[in-house]
Amino acid sequence: MKVLLFTALLAYIVAVVYALFSFLRRQQKLGNISLVALICGFVVHTLALILDAQQSKHLPFFQLREIFSLLAWALVIAYFLASRYYRIQAFEIFLLPVIAILLFLSMITPEGDGIMSAATHGLPGGRVALLDGAGAWIFPVHITLLIFSYASFFVVFITSVMYLLQERELKTKTFGTIFHRLPSLTTVDDISMTAAGLGFTFLTLGIAAGMLWASTRDGRVWHNDPKEIFAILTWALYMILIHSRYVGGWRGRKAAWFGIAGFALVLCTFLGTRLMGGYHVFG
Amino acid sequence: MSIILVGFNHKTAPIEVRERFAFTDERARASLQTLVDNEKINEGLIISTCNRVEVLAALGHDDERLGSGTKTEEGTAEGVHHINRFFSSQHQADPALLRDYSYTHVDEKAVRHVFRVASSLDSMVVGEPQVLGQMRHAYSLAVAAGTAGRVLHRLVHHAFRVAKRVRNETGIASSAVSISYTAVELGKKIFDSLEGHTILLVGAGEMAELAAKHLVNAGAKKILIANRTYSAAQALADKFSGEAIEFSTLNHYLREADIVICSTGATEGNYVITKQMAQQALSARRNRQIFFIDISVPRNVDPAIGDIDNLFVFDIDDLESVVASNIRERKHEAQRAELIVEAEVAQFQQALNTLNIGPTVGALRQRIQSIVEAEFARYRRRLGPLTPEQEKIIESMLDSITKKVAHPVISRLRESYQSGDTQTTQAWLNLFSVEEMEEILRKTGS
Repeated sequence: MKVLLFTALLAYIVAVVYALFSFLRRQQKLGNISLVALICGFVVHTLALILDAQQSKHLPFFQLREIFSLLAWALVIAYFLASRYYRIQAFEIFLLPVIAILLFLSMITPEGDGIMSAATHGLPGGRVALLDGAGAWIFPVHITLLIFSYASFFVVFITSVMYLLQERELKTKTFGTIFHRLPSLTTVDDISMTAAGLGFTFLTLGIAAGMLWASTRDGRVWHNDPKEIFAILTWALYMILIHSRYVGGWRGRKAAWFGIAGFALVLCTFLGTRLMGGYHVFG
Repeated sequence: MSIILVGFNHKTAPIEVRERFAFTDERARASLQTLVDNEKINEGLIISTCNRVEVLAALGHDDERLGSGTKTEEGTAEGVHHINRFFSSQHQADPALLRDYSYTHVDEKAVRHVFRVASSLDSMVVGEPQVLGQMRHAYSLAVAAGTAGRVLHRLVHHAFRVAKRVRNETGIASSAVSISYTAVELGKKIFDSLEGHTILLVGAGEMAELAAKHLVNAGAKKILIANRTYSAAQALADKFSGEAIEFSTLNHYLREADIVICSTGATEGNYVITKQMAQQALSARRNRQIFFIDISVPRNVDPAIGDIDNLFVFDIDDLESVVASNIRERKHEAQRAELIVEAEVAQFQQALNTLNIGPTVGALRQRIQSIVEAEFARYRRRLGPLTPEQEKIIESMLDSITKKVAHPVISRLRESYQSGDTQTTQAWLNLFSVEEMEEILRKTGS
């Protein structure tokens, strides 16, 4: 598996390098090479995930390294979707490095770190018990939905940053080299809102699945766990963002800053709570 | 063979001189036949635009007959002279004008010049693409007149490729360098494309018309025109199938507009579009961005509007500074383009060498001659003493044998080469490669 993951990482790095060259030199050919490398990396990466799951007899949802890898994988999908529906230059410059870094993190994170000890806490048979018992099918659904919501929110974050960069240049009327290479304000705004909507849907369903799962296991829906609290805060923030967009016509700078703040909360939910303990030690 | 370019452009010659030497299409068609006499000049092409008049010619295709296979300086000089004469006789102009205002480039320099012109590096506004179209046109005229041969075909097609590379690989043409085009480009930075967007023109003057033209070309859907004199608005509306609105209803229509262009007169500080109006319009259109372009002096749009989120204001100075920075950017990109041109010139020169059969023919003849000479040297001793006359006779006999053997080979070689049959050409050359020669030599020697 290491070999496959390493190959995928190499392909992603090639994709990053060529995307950078293509960006700086404005050569579409280089961009195509980057895309091919990305597709190759994605195929190998998918294969690695499948084989890994077969070998360890569980879905890749239990360890931190598995979650990193899965996040990177979901971001590639997000990238394919975004570039399929929008003419969005320069997006890859922001997204591809993160994909490569996530996969790299996944590879250096030691095996076993962050096993869901708390989630399996008190269950005879530990981790295996997660996959048996009543409602066990809900757990992978819970994780998958949340992974995709994180990926979507990351897209919101990137497009928000792109919006602010370009908006500032337009307002101050000083145009750097990046200006000619960024997509238009309305394009990034559109992608941002679509991604926020998708992410919010995934997050809502993911939280609901988590609650359902918890209630079938120990009868409690809410554990007052930091991760749960952050997740609800995140949910509320994106709720406000989306609601204000449709009701109050929010867009532009304010919406972009919200997208960035939302992502900070997502990071807290994802990583911060690891340090604070609780029911979800990791997830 | 040589490639020669003689011409005038906006840098070397004033408009009075350029128009004196300009060619209309019909004129060029007829003149090309005069230019290409197939003695001094074998191929020709005339580019005539408002910024340049140039004659591009290829000559000396048959230089290889001279044996050396390389072009002669006299041939080139004669060619240049011929083109100069052609210029002055075509336009009954004083040859002194040519001397004072024209430039002459030969071979590598001519190739570089053609590549630079095609890539718009030699244009008045660097990076503007029109010149490529003009060059295409000039080439099609030459093709129609039958004066573009294998050298010019290659050169011009290579130039088109270079232009494409420069366009794709540098940002030389990516930024706008006119006020109205800059406005369109900025609009695209906000709205992605202008398709389906509504433009409001405040003022129906010349500037408004020019801007409207650009915006309609860029795909703007609806054009609203407000003017203090309604009839002028109506007239402009008819021209662009827009809609004239009463000046007093401006406030109401502002919410419909994605782009607002102001070019009407105003007294200083008394803005036609106030911050309050803009704010109202923005909330009425649920914060969808509005792009204000204010090309009037004194300004018509309150600059404070630019402080509001989702509203963007550019006045004439802002646009001009964007233009200036774009021109700087183009110049910067032009340096990278020059590197591409240099690399392509080297590549073309190399390709041209394979195009030139002269040296090959020369080498072939040399090879046969060296065989003959070597054989003669080997048998010379056995012949015993010879009188100088006898020796001379033998030498001239060997020389004539060489020529008789070489001639059919060379003429076949040339035939297959000229018909573009590279395979046969190559076969002939292989037949007389060094190895083969040595083999033959060894056999005859034994």
